[in-house]
Amino acid sequence: MLKISEISQKISRKIIFETDPIILIFIFISIIYITVFLLIPVIMMVESAFLFGDSFTLQWFSNILSSFYINIKSQGSFYTYIPRINTLYVIGVDHGVILNSLIVATMTTIIASIFGVIVAFILARYEFLGKKILRVITLIPLLVTPFVNAYVIKKIFDPTTGLINWLFYDVLHVIPWRIWLDGLVAVIVTQSITYYPIVLLNVYASLMNIDPSLEEQGENLGAKGFTLFRKITLPLAFPGLAAGATLVFIFSLEDLSAPIVFQGHPYVQKLMSFQIYSNFIRPTGQRLPEIAALAVIMLAIALAGFLLIRKYVSMKSYAMISRGGRWKPRIRKLGIKGLIIVYFFITPLIIFTDLPQIGTIVLAFSSRWSGVFPEGFTLNNLMQIFINPSVSGYVMRSIIYALSAVVIIIIIGIATAYVANRVRLGGVTIFDTLATSPIAIPGIVMAVGYFYFYTQFFQGTFLDPRNPLYFDPALILIIAYSVRRMPFTARSIYAGLQQVHYTLEEASMNLGARRFKTIRSIVMPLIALNIISGAMISFIYSISEVSVSVTLGSINIDKSPLTVYMANVWVSSVGSAQIAAALGLLLMLIQLSVIIIVTLGFKQRYAFIGV
Amino acid sequence: MVNVHLDKITKKFGDVLAVDNVTLDIADGELFTLLGPSGCGKTTILRIIAGLEYPDSGRIFFENEDVTFKKSYERNVAMVFQNYALWPHMTVFDNIAFGLKIKKIPKNEIKERVKKVLDLVQLSGLENRYPTQLSGGQQQRVALARALVVEPKLLLLDEPLSNLDAKLRIEMREEIKRIQKSLKITTVYVTHDQEESMSISDRIAILDKGKVLQIGTPKEIYERPRNVFIASFIGRSSILKGIVKDITNNYVTVSLGTYTIKGVITSDINVKPGASVAVIFRPEDFELEPKSGHYNIIEGDVDMNMFLGSYQYVRLNLENNSKILIKLSPDTDIKLGTKLKVFIRADQVNILPWES
Repeated sequence: MLKISEISQKISRKIIFETDPIILIFIFISIIYITVFLLIPVIMMVESAFLFGDSFTLQWFSNILSSFYINIKSQGSFYTYIPRINTLYVIGVDHGVILNSLIVATMTTIIASIFGVIVAFILARYEFLGKKILRVITLIPLLVTPFVNAYVIKKIFDPTTGLINWLFYDVLHVIPWRIWLDGLVAVIVTQSITYYPIVLLNVYASLMNIDPSLEEQGENLGAKGFTLFRKITLPLAFPGLAAGATLVFIFSLEDLSAPIVFQGHPYVQKLMSFQIYSNFIRPTGQRLPEIAALAVIMLAIALAGFLLIRKYVSMKSYAMISRGGRWKPRIRKLGIKGLIIVYFFITPLIIFTDLPQIGTIVLAFSSRWSGVFPEGFTLNNLMQIFINPSVSGYVMRSIIYALSAVVIIIIIGIATAYVANRVRLGGVTIFDTLATSPIAIPGIVMAVGYFYFYTQFFQGTFLDPRNPLYFDPALILIIAYSVRRMPFTARSIYAGLQQVHYTLEEASMNLGARRFKTIRSIVMPLIALNIISGAMISFIYSISEVSVSVTLGSINIDKSPLTVYMANVWVSSVGSAQIAAALGLLLMLIQLSVIIIVTLGFKQRYAFIGV
Repeated sequence: MVNVHLDKITKKFGDVLAVDNVTLDIADGELFTLLGPSGCGKTTILRIIAGLEYPDSGRIFFENEDVTFKKSYERNVAMVFQNYALWPHMTVFDNIAFGLKIKKIPKNEIKERVKKVLDLVQLSGLENRYPTQLSGGQQQRVALARALVVEPKLLLLDEPLSNLDAKLRIEMREEIKRIQKSLKITTVYVTHDQEESMSISDRIAILDKGKVLQIGTPKEIYERPRNVFIASFIGRSSILKGIVKDITNNYVTVSLGTYTIKGVITSDINVKPGASVAVIFRPEDFELEPKSGHYNIIEGDVDMNMFLGSYQYVRLNLENNSKILIKLSPDTDIKLGTKLKVFIRADQVNILPWES
């Protein structure tokens, strides 16, 4: 049995030797930043959900168990037939706010998972003509184009002028009625398209990491085709599938993009994310604690999901995966049956998932979209972004906010990744969790938490959201982006540190250089590419951030970022869808450039959101 | 230049006791080697001296100054790492100059000192190359140069030759010895290669499982190993098991079944008649003809021979199926299957308590 003095001597020796002022500063700023700008706001929000005035209450939670929120018996019918235009109007049923969100998320996850697994399997295990092209176009939905992507879906399922109805009903006559997707079903379709690549990429990575001899052994013992897939391959790829599916579920739950565009239908307004968003600030400037209770529920679900997959999305496992596969995968040529399935079923479906981005690009160059296709080629939309100050202002502000966020991200990211990777003290794995947890915290939850945080501690100042004329969201948005988008840079830096052997630092310190000089002269040059590529990815996802931008960021319109402009086309019918599409195109172009620079120029792994 | 005193150094990694209560002294200017098999703790001790690991208990003194709690960059020791740890984004010049720049030495003096040390390791002209453009031997010499140029109190070498091919290893170890002697710098050298350690060391400490088993000059360790482990680790000795029959005047008579051997005890442990002992024969001590003094006669069948150019090894199968290795001159004609009689002096045969 060790005596107390022995144990304390051991611990103090350990701390003296394993740390120095720089390490302590890194530990300090990492913890402080995440605590102040993530943990405290969230805790304040959770707290307020249990308070009435100053006393504890569960009233808010019992309010949100009413039938408005949870209705086992559904309302409405799943679809309605409109005989006048021979249209099947498909909308989904209303089970109350909370159940609606859970059902939408579940359906999205199921569809995304099935399609994602199928496509991942085809790409990982088979060879066929055009595979390289197919690989590229499956990733197109990951190019962020908030709001406009949902708008394109809305347009192409329009009963009279929708592309899908025109093609399959009017031209090909293969469906007996027109199909009009709206309401919750439209949200599910939009989200499935947007998020299925997350499952695809995660399952693909898992499949490529499977030792081929395991499958060969199974085949050798008689398992073929689907049996082999079901009994050997799928179980081995399960971690990737579980991680991808969990992320899709969380992202669907917190998505605001599709609900805002489809809010015309009342059922869509009865989604958790939309409820929180639309009740965010009442005219009197009071918070509805019910909203906080709703946010707590969303947070609880998201956290449960994150805890499930935290090892998988950790910096450590990202570093391992990004080092590349060790195996030469089992790839076989597709037979006739397989080729038919791929070319005539899978490929059209994949093209379908690309329609939002394709539609955005076409719309960006069009003056109107009143018929089946956008018409009136024009460069005016793009010019408006750069010339018209009422639009270009949004773009400039987004770029400035995002760049500022990236500066913070680089500093905190280096500190956190360095501690997680290099410091040999017990409990440093918590830094890995701290750095990657923002992936799973719903943005709308953070927005609510920030509301409580800033109104409490910065009352009356320009940071107080209740002062719409005086309020300046710039700092809040910069901080919000820096917290939400930190993981990309932190993971990239961690992976870089993994490749820099620790003896290179030891040699430097051995020759007289202290920690700071060692990091500056030895470590930084060797991880420069990792820092830059991580920062570029964080930049992309900062300028396209939605949740905090359209809530806190929309209070004072003169200071809003560009996602607010895009949202307003459908929220307050201000601005035009064409210009929103041009903004979407701008976002896609920036993202494409970054992807090319990072993967081809820097030869790093480009991390999409959630992957 | 400095002497080093390690006082009861202990280090545990999790459940593994890597260094077990080690005390030793290294004299000013000597080349001191830590020798032992993998996992014996030698690299850990070196890293503790360097300040890259910390001891759980115990102290380190450089010239009577307690440096136990000093960070590596405060100790003025320079280490050559096993993987060289050359910085890939810097040229040879910048790698070597790094330590001097830290000390804020003026530019022209840096240039001069780098040039001098490159001459010393025979790499002049390669200043502007990058480490990836150098061969293994060249990288090793850059790592050495980088450590020497800062004129450290102590030079630490962690298996510096293990990544080189056999011939280069022999060349380089002689280089290192030459440089060390000319600079008179106190050097601690870690290796698992016993031939390497014997050829360059002033003194050697043999380690196993975190403990120091013996410290001595190469000659002392080779001729008088203190236990069976050391005897089997150094050289190519043959070890046979026997029972002590009697002890007279420091000579021990040991029965090995059908014959007896006379030898000498080297350890301070007493052996009594009836005790199990190990009898150690070094291959080069055998002769084909008797010489003066007390000697033993051994006879056996030749069941293997190995011609190695300047000498040959012959293996004799003895009466009770034990085998011994004999080193003979290459021109001796030995046929397989024939009987051979060899002679070995009693004072060349080490007797040690038997350890399994």
